[in-house]
Amino acid sequence: MKQLFPLLFILIFTACGKTATSSAPAFKAVQYEELKAVLEQNDDVLYVVNFWATWCGPCVEELPGFMEVNAEYAENPKFKMILVSLDNVKKLDKTVKPFIASHKITTDVYLLDDNKRMNLWIPAFDASWSGSIPATVFYKNGKKLHFEENQLNKTELKNLIHQYL
Amino acid sequence: MKKISLIFSLLVLALAVQTSVFAQNAGNKGYKPDDIATDFKLKNVDGKTVSLSDYNKAKGFIVVFTCNHCPYAKAYEDRIIALDKKYASKAYPVIAINPNDPAVEPDDSYAAMQQRAKEKGFTFPYLFDDGQKVYPQYGATKTPHVFVLNKEKGKNVVRYIGAIDNNYADASDVSEKYVEAAVDALLAGKEVKQASTAAIGCSIKFKK
Repeated sequence: MKQLFPLLFILIFTACGKTATSSAPAFKAVQYEELKAVLEQNDDVLYVVNFWATWCGPCVEELPGFMEVNAEYAENPKFKMILVSLDNVKKLDKTVKPFIASHKITTDVYLLDDNKRMNLWIPAFDASWSGSIPATVFYKNGKKLHFEENQLNKTELKNLIHQYL
Repeated sequence: MKKISLIFSLLVLALAVQTSVFAQNAGNKGYKPDDIATDFKLKNVDGKTVSLSDYNKAKGFIVVFTCNHCPYAKAYEDRIIALDKKYASKAYPVIAINPNDPAVEPDDSYAAMQQRAKEKGFTFPYLFDDGQKVYPQYGATKTPHVFVLNKEKGKNVVRYIGAIDNNYADASDVSEKYVEAAVDALLAGKEVKQASTAAIGCSIKFKK
């Protein structure tokens, strides 16, 4: 019976339908409008959105800290971390996917496949963003609360989360 | 007691330094279009120093902060060479500057720059921002980051800041050539319609 319990648990959760926690993290290529719809929701959830790329040294350096923080808030329904990869869409399966596995990325990952419209979406995320990565944006209820065009260590990230959660 | 006062004064000093750095960052975010760009004296890959004032006949410059290691910079290398080929003869030469600290990014060392310039046959100076004094004045934040300057009454006026074009990944699928449009406008004596653009790039590497 004890062995059956986790299975039952999963079954109940799956049956409930909308269970972000039990389903596998999202991993897909999107255009700006689709990404915007994911980040700007009226659901009281704090969205921590990190722009990165597999080839970006400082991005890769800060990711373990981000994943540790994400694990700490995993049970909090008012918190969601999302990674937005700016890798070339041609690298989606060969580079980004293996990277996500080898670096134990636990969040949803969207590859923003909208290279020709950078001059539209970069200022739309933040007017002050020159386009260097890593960059992290905080959203709640469709409103941008904070923008950071810098590396964030674990403490800095947690301080910002505490401020806005 | 002496120890405590030493620690205390060190703390105060650290705080003061931090505050002044912060104030500097907040106060100076680099150039905006219409600002006057500073000249510089930086070492080229051939060992000679280069300044904007060396170019008597230039009508302006295409200053490109770029480097060896960054995938975006690499993707744009051939297009930077093409810009110089097209515009140097029209008195708007390319001046490339590597702003990265090689202690943080060894691929961007002076020796590596010399090698890359040779391999690619750069027709323009590839300068080393040794000590990282120039890029903060311009407000470059990433590579590649372009500043088109126009000589007006003896001053180098910033007329465009941003990306080279709107498709780093595929030169054959570019629909907006921002730098070319800016220089063409200046050559025609017209106003630059799009004076700044944003594009993703590699952050400039410096010691923390």
